[in-house]
Amino acid sequence: MTEITQHYLDQFNAASAGLAGRGLPWLDDQRQAAIELFARSGFPGQYEEDWRYTPLKPVIGKLLHIKVDNDIADTDISDYLVAGLDAYRLVFVDGRFSPQYSDTSGLQDCIVMNSFEQSVARNPELFTETMRSEVPLSNGFAALNVAFSTDGYVIEVAENVKLDKPVEIIFIAVNSDLATQPRNIVHMGKFSQAVIIERYVSSKQTGAVVNSTSRISLDEGARLGYYLVQTQANDASQISSVDVNQGKSSWFGCYTLTLGGQLVRNNLRVSLQAEGAHCDMLGLYNTGGKQHVDNHTTVVHAAPHCTSRELYKGVLDQRSRGVFHGRIKVEQGAQKTDASQSNNNLLLSPNAEVDTKPQLEIYADDVKCAHGATIGQIDQNSLFYLRSRGIDEKDARALLTFAFLNEVLDEIELEPLKQSMESILAERLIADE
Amino acid sequence: MLSIKNLHADIEGKPILKGVNLEIRTGEVHAIMGPNGSGKSTLANVLAGRDDYEVTSGSVEYRGMDLLDMEPEIRAREGVFLAFQYPVEIPGVTNMYLLKAAINSVRKHRGVEELDAREFLKLIKEKAAMVEMKQEFLYRSVNQGFSGGEKKRNEILQMALLEPHLSVLDETDSGLDIDALKIVAQGVNLLRSEQRSMVLVTHYQRLLDYIVPDYVHVLAGGRIIRSGGKELALELEQKGYGWVEDQAAA
Ligand SMILES: Nc1ncnc2c1ncn2[C@@H]1O[C@H](COP(=O)(O)OP(=O)(O)O)[C@@H](O)[C@H]1O
Ligand SMILES: [Mg+2]
Repeated sequence: MTEITQHYLDQFNAASAGLAGRGLPWLDDQRQAAIELFARSGFPGQYEEDWRYTPLKPVIGKLLHIKVDNDIADTDISDYLVAGLDAYRLVFVDGRFSPQYSDTSGLQDCIVMNSFEQSVARNPELFTETMRSEVPLSNGFAALNVAFSTDGYVIEVAENVKLDKPVEIIFIAVNSDLATQPRNIVHMGKFSQAVIIERYVSSKQTGAVVNSTSRISLDEGARLGYYLVQTQANDASQISSVDVNQGKSSWFGCYTLTLGGQLVRNNLRVSLQAEGAHCDMLGLYNTGGKQHVDNHTTVVHAAPHCTSRELYKGVLDQRSRGVFHGRIKVEQGAQKTDASQSNNNLLLSPNAEVDTKPQLEIYADDVKCAHGATIGQIDQNSLFYLRSRGIDEKDARALLTFAFLNEVLDEIELEPLKQSMESILAERLIADE
Repeated sequence: MLSIKNLHADIEGKPILKGVNLEIRTGEVHAIMGPNGSGKSTLANVLAGRDDYEVTSGSVEYRGMDLLDMEPEIRAREGVFLAFQYPVEIPGVTNMYLLKAAINSVRKHRGVEELDAREFLKLIKEKAAMVEMKQEFLYRSVNQGFSGGEKKRNEILQMALLEPHLSVLDETDSGLDIDALKIVAQGVNLLRSEQRSMVLVTHYQRLLDYIVPDYVHVLAGGRIIRSGGKELALELEQKGYGWVEDQAAA
């Protein structure tokens, strides 16, 4: 066992008695099982194929500081809002649910939970029912999340309910060097519809680390638009694990938008478990400085007649680095699968770097699987064309970069969110140098 | 307007222009003809400021300024316009966006107020009608999925919008059927004036039936080997480029 693993075990032993929900036998068991698994496996290492390109050392070092108290830092929430976005809102500050900044009034036919503490106090049976199902402990990070988490949002949309507004969840990192472990759960009842925006932001110079898990399930005919939006400062880091199970004829639209963070690793796993399920996985990342963004996606076709479409586009500048690993697994019996995947990258600097890798595992014979990856630079002919029309070089580059990302931006159906992404991008692309 | 003196230019270390001399006064239309590969597009692109071409010697004076010293975007704002032989397709950038950004950058440079959305729309509709371009083309990505003729008309639309002092049209006629050619020629003729000068680069004299030049030059082997009036174009049509090349060699 390494020193660091030992350190986490010690922390767990010291903190576990005070963790919210302590005393619920199933939760105690879950946490214990998770920490034991962590003790055995530790953090993934770069010798593991799935983590090869991503140096975790800085994050692991920072994860040492786990928040166990319940104080909520004062913060100016208006710094973090998306202009014009009308949504129900849940806010977590440094990992702690913050009712003073949240507003879910008017939200009907939908159960929303936030901190374990409040959920247990209000309705322990419901809390148990929702949380009991185990989070897949696919790696040391997810295990640590389950062991330590005490907060996170839970949204349960009842059968046939269509939410009238999106639900926005903002995780704000305010204090320095804190590690937080949000554990989120979404359950979409049959034929329900919702849009969820999970946003991670931070104030400058926090060096915060977020280790989040989001477990999402969709029953028959449910439709969920899910946005994972990462716009934290460039010294913050995040490891996210999003795990999705889709029922019959359900639709899951996933938008992973990564514009911030020093080190961001997103594990997205979508499992199409019954006929007629469809998922769209869109991704956009723009990095500069020494940012490192790593998207690992897996889509599992476990049933026949399911379709999946994946499009990730990245723009990398300066010394930043991108990783895309897209796995498509078509299980035996998943006939008539239609899966497509593409990852396109634009390098704005000779020092930026991308590793992109598709991985197809197909165990059925009647399937359509298409994939492609590209890495390119700004097209010189286009650049000259724009300049010859009076547009200066910087603007022309920004314009072409936008044009490249447009394919993904255009699919963001929430106009205010799209505009906010565009203005962050514009600021970066035009201010750079 | 434009004074080119002893211009030499290389591409990838290979000399293409080998001493071009050309004087164009305000209000004049000059045709530059010549066989394929003679350096016509090179000359046009050097004037527009493309940096793949290295100017090794010579000078270009444009309205009293050292043209070669200016960035491409500054040349455009100062009124130099190149209609490309092969207009680029730019997926994701709408034609409308490009046109608006272009006109406003030019206006800003000239110290005129930028156009707001409504003023721009009015202007662009007028210009689009002039080149008989359907409005839907304005909302498409720049040149994407345009036919050859539509691309060339789009170039003329941009020219009409920017109202340049010096227009260089690089084989805007090639690949056009006769109707499209007439539309393009009409656009050019509408813009022709005492204040503007034009250079028509063309391989065929056909265009010159519709846009009558003041002077015709033959560019071959990186040099202007012969200049004359509009009748030179007809003579070339009858006798072929070999005729002047032989004369020049003699
Ligand atoms: N990008 C390039 N790289 C190398 N050679 C080029 C390039 N562009 C043009 N050339 C060469 O330069 C010469 C002149 O080309 P160009 O100016 O396009 O001629 P024209 O327009 O008169 O047909 C030709 O020999 C052509 O092959
Ligand atoms: Mg040419």
